[in-house]
Amino acid sequence: MSGELKLLFAGAMGAGKTTAIRAISEIAPITTEATNGDFTECDKEETTVAMDYGEITLPTGEKLRLYGTPGQARFGFMWPILAAGALGVVILIDNSRPDPLADLELYIDAFRALADAGAVIVGVGHMESCPRPSLEAYAERLAALDVVVPVMPADARRHSDVVGMLEILLQQIEATWAYDEVMGGVSACGLMGANS
Amino acid sequence: MSVRTLPLELIADLDNEVRGLHARVSGVIGCVLATTDGRQVSAVVDNEADPQRVSAMVGSIVALGETIGREVMIGRTQFVAVSAVGGMILLQRVPAQRDLLVVGTLARHNTNLGILLHETGITAVAAGKILDEWLGRDRQSA
Repeated sequence: MSGELKLLFAGAMGAGKTTAIRAISEIAPITTEATNGDFTECDKEETTVAMDYGEITLPTGEKLRLYGTPGQARFGFMWPILAAGALGVVILIDNSRPDPLADLELYIDAFRALADAGAVIVGVGHMESCPRPSLEAYAERLAALDVVVPVMPADARRHSDVVGMLEILLQQIEATWAYDEVMGGVSACGLMGANS
Repeated sequence: MSVRTLPLELIADLDNEVRGLHARVSGVIGCVLATTDGRQVSAVVDNEADPQRVSAMVGSIVALGETIGREVMIGRTQFVAVSAVGGMILLQRVPAQRDLLVVGTLARHNTNLGILLHETGITAVAAGKILDEWLGRDRQSA
Protein backbone atom coordinates (compact mmCIF):
# COMPACT_ATOMS: atom_id res chain seq x y z
CA MET A 1 0.00 0.00 0.00
CA SER A 2 1.31 3.42 -0.81
CA GLY A 3 0.32 7.01 -1.43
CA GLU A 4 -3.14 8.04 -0.37
CA LEU A 5 -5.53 5.39 0.84
CA LYS A 6 -9.29 5.49 1.00
CA LEU A 7 -11.59 3.80 3.49
CA LEU A 8 -15.33 3.96 3.87
CA PHE A 9 -17.64 4.06 6.89
CA ALA A 10 -21.06 2.56 6.25
CA GLY A 11 -24.04 1.56 8.35
CA ALA A 12 -27.55 2.55 9.27
CA MET A 13 -28.64 6.06 10.19
CA GLY A 14 -27.46 6.83 13.72
CA ALA A 15 -24.88 4.02 13.80
CA GLY A 16 -22.05 6.51 14.35
CA LYS A 17 -20.37 7.04 10.97
CA THR A 18 -20.13 10.82 11.22
CA THR A 19 -19.16 10.53 14.89
CA ALA A 20 -16.40 8.02 14.10
CA ILE A 21 -14.88 10.26 11.43
CA ARG A 22 -15.10 13.26 13.77
CA ALA A 23 -13.42 11.21 16.49
CA ILE A 24 -10.26 10.57 14.50
CA SER A 25 -9.97 13.08 11.67
CA GLU A 26 -6.94 15.36 11.75
CA ILE A 27 -8.73 17.93 9.61
CA ALA A 28 -12.06 19.59 10.27
CA PRO A 29 -14.43 17.01 8.81
CA ILE A 30 -16.50 17.88 5.78
CA THR A 31 -20.12 17.02 6.44
CA THR A 32 -23.39 17.27 4.55
CA GLU A 33 -26.03 17.17 7.24
CA ALA A 34 -29.68 18.08 6.83
CA THR A 35 -32.59 18.26 9.23
CA ASN A 36 -33.78 14.77 9.98
CA GLY A 37 -37.40 14.47 8.95
CA ASP A 38 -38.00 10.92 10.06
CA PHE A 39 -37.89 10.33 13.78
CA THR A 40 -39.30 6.83 13.28
CA GLU A 41 -35.96 5.87 11.74
CA CYS A 42 -33.79 7.65 14.31
CA ASP A 43 -34.36 10.50 16.76
CA LYS A 44 -31.29 12.50 15.71
CA GLU A 45 -31.82 16.16 14.83
CA GLU A 46 -29.63 15.96 11.74
CA THR A 47 -28.63 13.28 9.27
CA THR A 48 -25.92 12.93 6.61
CA VAL A 49 -27.42 13.20 3.14
CA ALA A 50 -24.41 12.94 0.83
CA MET A 51 -21.10 12.16 2.53
CA ASP A 52 -18.69 12.88 5.34
CA TYR A 53 -14.97 13.30 4.80
CA GLY A 54 -11.98 13.28 7.10
CA GLU A 55 -8.27 12.45 7.01
CA ILE A 56 -5.70 10.83 9.24
CA THR A 57 -2.02 10.14 8.72
CA LEU A 58 -0.77 6.61 9.30
CA PRO A 59 2.53 5.93 11.13
CA THR A 60 4.00 5.14 7.69
CA GLY A 61 3.27 8.71 6.60
CA GLU A 62 0.52 7.63 4.24
CA LYS A 63 -2.66 9.69 4.27
CA LEU A 64 -5.86 7.79 4.94
CA ARG A 65 -8.92 9.43 3.42
CA LEU A 66 -12.09 8.57 5.31
CA TYR A 67 -15.50 8.75 3.66
CA GLY A 68 -18.78 8.33 5.48
CA THR A 69 -21.87 7.24 3.59
CA PRO A 70 -25.42 8.38 4.24
CA GLY A 71 -27.16 5.51 6.03
CA GLN A 72 -30.69 5.38 4.70
CA ALA A 73 -31.38 2.97 1.84
CA ARG A 74 -32.81 5.79 -0.29
CA PHE A 75 -29.28 7.19 -0.45
CA GLY A 76 -27.98 3.87 -1.76
CA PHE A 77 -27.06 5.60 -5.02
CA MET A 78 -24.23 7.30 -3.11
CA TRP A 79 -22.72 4.05 -1.84
CA PRO A 80 -21.04 2.81 -5.06
CA ILE A 81 -19.96 6.36 -5.87
CA LEU A 82 -18.18 6.65 -2.54
CA ALA A 83 -16.88 3.06 -2.66
CA ALA A 84 -15.01 3.62 -5.94
CA GLY A 85 -11.33 3.13 -5.22
CA ALA A 86 -11.89 2.24 -1.56
CA LEU A 87 -9.57 -0.30 0.03
CA GLY A 88 -12.14 -1.40 2.54
CA VAL A 89 -15.17 -0.52 4.58
CA VAL A 90 -15.97 -0.23 8.27
CA ILE A 91 -19.58 -1.30 8.74
CA LEU A 92 -21.03 0.18 11.93
CA ILE A 93 -24.06 -1.54 13.43
CA ASP A 94 -26.26 -0.06 16.15
CA ASN A 95 -27.33 -2.94 18.38
CA SER A 96 -30.25 -0.91 19.74
CA ARG A 97 -31.98 -0.83 16.36
CA PRO A 98 -34.94 -3.15 15.75
CA ASP A 99 -33.10 -5.71 13.60
CA PRO A 100 -29.32 -5.23 13.64
CA LEU A 101 -28.64 -8.51 11.84
CA ALA A 102 -30.84 -7.36 8.95
CA ASP A 103 -28.81 -4.12 8.91
CA LEU A 104 -25.65 -6.23 8.71
CA GLU A 105 -26.99 -8.17 5.73
CA LEU A 106 -28.03 -4.98 3.95
CA TYR A 107 -24.58 -3.42 4.18
CA ILE A 108 -22.67 -6.62 3.48
CA ASP A 109 -24.78 -7.00 0.36
CA ALA A 110 -24.19 -3.37 -0.63
CA PHE A 111 -20.41 -3.77 -0.30
CA ARG A 112 -20.29 -7.41 -1.36
CA ALA A 113 -17.15 -7.13 -3.47
CA LEU A 114 -15.17 -5.69 -0.57
CA ALA A 115 -16.67 -8.26 1.81
CA ASP A 116 -15.70 -11.11 -0.50
CA ALA A 117 -12.17 -9.72 -0.55
CA GLY A 118 -12.10 -9.67 3.26
CA ALA A 119 -11.79 -5.90 3.22
CA VAL A 120 -14.54 -5.28 5.78
CA ILE A 121 -14.68 -4.93 9.54
CA VAL A 122 -17.92 -4.83 11.52
CA GLY A 123 -18.13 -2.61 14.60
CA VAL A 124 -21.15 -3.10 16.84
CA GLY A 125 -22.25 -0.20 19.01
CA HIS A 126 -24.49 0.02 22.11
CA MET A 127 -23.64 -3.54 23.14
CA GLU A 128 -23.51 -2.58 26.82
CA SER A 129 -27.13 -1.45 26.87
CA CYS A 130 -28.31 -3.92 24.21
CA PRO A 131 -26.23 -7.11 24.44
CA ARG A 132 -28.41 -9.01 21.94
CA PRO A 133 -27.64 -10.03 19.27
CA SER A 134 -24.29 -11.23 20.58
CA LEU A 135 -21.02 -11.11 18.67
CA GLU A 136 -21.41 -14.85 18.12
CA ALA A 137 -24.76 -14.22 16.43
CA TYR A 138 -23.05 -11.72 14.12
CA ALA A 139 -20.31 -14.22 13.32
CA GLU A 140 -22.89 -16.89 12.56
CA ARG A 141 -24.83 -14.55 10.27
CA LEU A 142 -21.63 -13.57 8.46
CA ALA A 143 -20.72 -17.24 8.07
CA ALA A 144 -24.17 -17.89 6.64
CA LEU A 145 -23.47 -15.11 4.15
CA ASP A 146 -20.17 -16.81 3.32
CA VAL A 147 -18.20 -13.82 4.59
CA VAL A 148 -15.21 -14.08 6.91
CA VAL A 149 -14.51 -10.70 8.47
CA PRO A 150 -13.91 -9.55 12.05
CA VAL A 151 -16.70 -8.32 14.29
CA MET A 152 -15.96 -6.30 17.41
CA PRO A 153 -17.76 -4.07 19.87
CA ALA A 154 -17.05 -0.41 19.12
CA ASP A 155 -18.00 2.97 20.49
CA ALA A 156 -17.81 5.40 17.58
CA ARG A 157 -17.22 8.28 19.99
CA ARG A 158 -14.04 6.68 21.29
CA HIS A 159 -10.87 7.51 19.36
CA SER A 160 -9.14 4.29 20.41
CA ASP A 161 -12.05 2.11 19.27
CA VAL A 162 -12.21 3.72 15.83
CA VAL A 163 -8.45 3.67 15.31
CA GLY A 164 -8.38 0.07 16.53
CA MET A 165 -10.91 -0.94 13.88
CA LEU A 166 -8.92 0.82 11.16
CA GLU A 167 -5.68 -0.88 12.24
CA ILE A 168 -7.29 -4.32 12.13
CA LEU A 169 -8.90 -3.60 8.78
CA LEU A 170 -5.66 -2.36 7.21
CA GLN A 171 -3.72 -5.33 8.57
CA GLN A 172 -6.35 -7.63 7.19
CA ILE A 173 -6.19 -5.99 3.76
CA GLU A 174 -2.39 -6.19 3.73
CA ALA A 175 -2.49 -9.82 4.77
CA THR A 176 -4.95 -10.59 1.99
CA TRP A 177 -2.71 -8.91 -0.55
CA ALA A 178 0.35 -10.75 0.76
CA TYR A 179 -1.51 -14.06 0.62
CA ASP A 180 -2.62 -13.39 -2.94
CA GLU A 181 0.94 -12.54 -3.97
CA VAL A 182 2.26 -15.76 -2.44
CA MET A 183 -0.47 -17.74 -4.15
CA GLY A 184 0.30 -16.00 -7.43
CA GLY A 185 -3.22 -14.71 -7.71
CA VAL A 186 -4.58 -11.25 -8.04
CA SER A 187 -7.10 -9.93 -5.57
CA ALA A 188 -8.20 -7.23 -7.95
CA CYS A 189 -11.82 -8.30 -7.95
CA GLY A 190 -12.57 -7.18 -4.44
CA LEU A 191 -10.52 -4.06 -4.03
CA MET A 192 -12.50 -1.96 -6.41
CA GLY A 193 -9.60 -0.64 -8.40
CA ALA A 194 -7.33 0.05 -5.48
CA ASN A 195 -4.46 -1.74 -7.22
CA SER A 196 -4.84 0.07 -10.49
CA MET B 1 -41.32 16.93 11.49
CA SER B 2 -41.90 13.85 9.40
CA VAL B 3 -43.11 13.86 5.82
CA ARG B 4 -45.55 11.21 7.00
CA THR B 5 -47.05 13.77 9.35
CA LEU B 6 -47.37 16.60 6.83
CA PRO B 7 -51.05 17.50 6.61
CA LEU B 8 -52.74 16.74 3.33
CA GLU B 9 -53.77 20.37 2.80
CA LEU B 10 -50.13 21.47 3.07
CA ILE B 11 -49.05 18.84 0.56
CA ALA B 12 -51.95 19.87 -1.71
CA ASP B 13 -50.82 23.51 -1.63
CA LEU B 14 -47.23 22.50 -2.39
CA ASP B 15 -48.51 20.22 -5.17
CA ASN B 16 -50.22 23.22 -6.74
CA GLU B 17 -46.95 25.14 -6.88
CA VAL B 18 -45.07 22.20 -8.39
CA ARG B 19 -47.76 21.57 -10.99
CA GLY B 20 -48.01 25.29 -11.69
CA LEU B 21 -44.32 25.49 -12.56
CA HIS B 22 -44.59 22.44 -14.76
CA ALA B 23 -47.60 23.85 -16.57
CA ARG B 24 -46.49 27.45 -17.13
CA VAL B 25 -42.89 27.01 -18.28
CA SER B 26 -42.41 25.58 -21.73
CA GLY B 27 -39.65 23.01 -21.69
CA VAL B 28 -40.02 21.99 -18.05
CA ILE B 29 -40.53 18.25 -18.00
CA GLY B 30 -40.47 17.71 -14.28
CA CYS B 31 -40.39 19.29 -10.87
CA VAL B 32 -39.66 17.61 -7.56
CA LEU B 33 -40.16 19.04 -4.10
CA ALA B 34 -38.37 17.04 -1.43
CA THR B 35 -37.31 17.34 2.17
CA THR B 36 -33.69 18.29 2.76
CA ASP B 37 -33.13 14.72 3.93
CA GLY B 38 -34.31 13.33 0.63
CA ARG B 39 -37.97 12.40 1.01
CA GLN B 40 -40.44 13.12 -1.74
CA VAL B 41 -43.13 15.67 -0.88
CA SER B 42 -44.51 16.45 -4.32
CA ALA B 43 -43.45 15.57 -7.85
CA VAL B 44 -44.52 15.72 -11.43
CA VAL B 45 -42.19 14.06 -13.93
CA ASP B 46 -42.95 13.46 -17.59
CA ASN B 47 -40.23 10.95 -18.32
CA GLU B 48 -39.38 7.61 -16.72
CA ALA B 49 -37.30 9.07 -13.87
CA ASP B 50 -38.31 7.73 -10.46
CA PRO B 51 -39.34 10.75 -8.33
CA GLN B 52 -38.53 8.93 -5.07
CA ARG B 53 -34.92 8.36 -6.15
CA VAL B 54 -34.68 11.83 -7.65
CA SER B 55 -35.92 13.30 -4.35
CA ALA B 56 -33.10 11.60 -2.44
CA MET B 57 -30.57 12.82 -5.01
CA VAL B 58 -31.88 16.40 -4.92
CA GLY B 59 -31.35 16.43 -1.15
CA SER B 60 -27.81 15.07 -1.51
CA ILE B 61 -26.75 17.35 -4.35
CA VAL B 62 -28.08 20.53 -2.76
CA ALA B 63 -26.17 19.60 0.41
CA LEU B 64 -23.01 18.85 -1.59
CA GLY B 65 -23.36 22.11 -3.53
CA GLU B 66 -23.69 24.10 -0.33
CA THR B 67 -20.79 22.22 1.24
CA ILE B 68 -18.41 22.95 -1.62
CA GLY B 69 -19.62 26.56 -1.68
CA ARG B 70 -18.60 26.91 1.96
CA GLU B 71 -15.35 25.03 1.38
CA VAL B 72 -14.17 27.35 -1.39
CA MET B 73 -15.45 30.38 0.52
CA ILE B 74 -17.76 31.77 -2.14
CA GLY B 75 -20.63 32.40 0.23
CA ARG B 76 -24.13 31.04 0.34
CA THR B 77 -25.00 28.71 -2.52
CA GLN B 78 -28.00 29.94 -4.51
CA PHE B 79 -28.58 26.95 -6.76
CA VAL B 80 -26.92 23.90 -8.27
CA ALA B 81 -27.27 23.21 -11.99
CA VAL B 82 -26.55 20.04 -13.93
CA SER B 83 -26.33 20.50 -17.68
CA ALA B 84 -26.49 17.35 -19.79
CA VAL B 85 -26.76 16.54 -23.49
CA GLY B 86 -30.47 15.87 -23.21
CA GLY B 87 -31.48 18.55 -20.76
CA MET B 88 -30.73 20.21 -17.47
CA ILE B 89 -31.80 20.10 -13.86
CA LEU B 90 -31.74 23.02 -11.48
CA LEU B 91 -31.68 22.41 -7.74
CA GLN B 92 -32.11 24.84 -4.89
CA ARG B 93 -33.18 25.14 -1.30
CA VAL B 94 -36.64 26.44 -0.47
CA PRO B 95 -36.17 29.70 1.47
CA ALA B 96 -38.19 29.38 4.68
CA GLN B 97 -37.85 29.89 8.42
CA ARG B 98 -36.66 26.32 8.68
CA ASP B 99 -34.44 24.55 6.13
CA LEU B 100 -36.79 21.71 5.41
CA LEU B 101 -37.39 21.61 1.65
CA VAL B 102 -35.48 21.56 -1.62
CA VAL B 103 -36.77 21.86 -5.16
CA GLY B 104 -35.46 20.42 -8.42
CA THR B 105 -36.65 21.44 -11.88
CA LEU B 106 -35.95 19.24 -14.89
CA ALA B 107 -36.04 20.88 -18.32
CA ARG B 108 -35.27 20.16 -21.94
CA HIS B 109 -31.85 21.26 -23.22
CA ASN B 110 -33.27 24.14 -25.24
CA THR B 111 -34.95 25.75 -22.26
CA ASN B 112 -33.71 29.21 -21.43
CA LEU B 113 -31.60 28.98 -18.28
CA GLY B 114 -32.57 32.45 -17.09
CA ILE B 115 -36.27 31.68 -17.30
CA LEU B 116 -35.72 28.34 -15.59
CA LEU B 117 -33.80 30.03 -12.76
CA HIS B 118 -36.45 32.72 -12.39
CA GLU B 119 -39.40 30.36 -12.39
CA THR B 120 -37.76 27.82 -10.09
CA GLY B 121 -36.97 30.65 -7.72
CA ILE B 122 -40.58 31.86 -7.78
CA THR B 123 -41.77 28.34 -7.02
CA ALA B 124 -39.25 27.95 -4.20
CA VAL B 125 -40.32 31.25 -2.62
CA ALA B 126 -44.00 30.31 -2.92
CA ALA B 127 -43.35 26.90 -1.37
CA GLY B 128 -41.41 28.59 1.42
CA LYS B 129 -44.32 30.93 2.18
CA ILE B 130 -46.73 28.02 2.29
CA LEU B 131 -44.40 26.15 4.64
CA ASP B 132 -43.90 29.20 6.88
CA GLU B 133 -47.64 29.79 7.15
CA TRP B 134 -48.17 26.19 8.09
CA LEU B 135 -45.34 26.24 10.62
CA GLY B 136 -46.85 29.43 12.13
CA ARG B 137 -50.29 27.83 12.43
CA ASP B 138 -48.71 24.67 13.83
CA ARG B 139 -46.92 26.70 16.52
CA GLN B 140 -50.10 28.62 17.45
CA SER B 141 -52.14 25.46 17.82
CA ALA B 142 -49.43 23.76 19.89
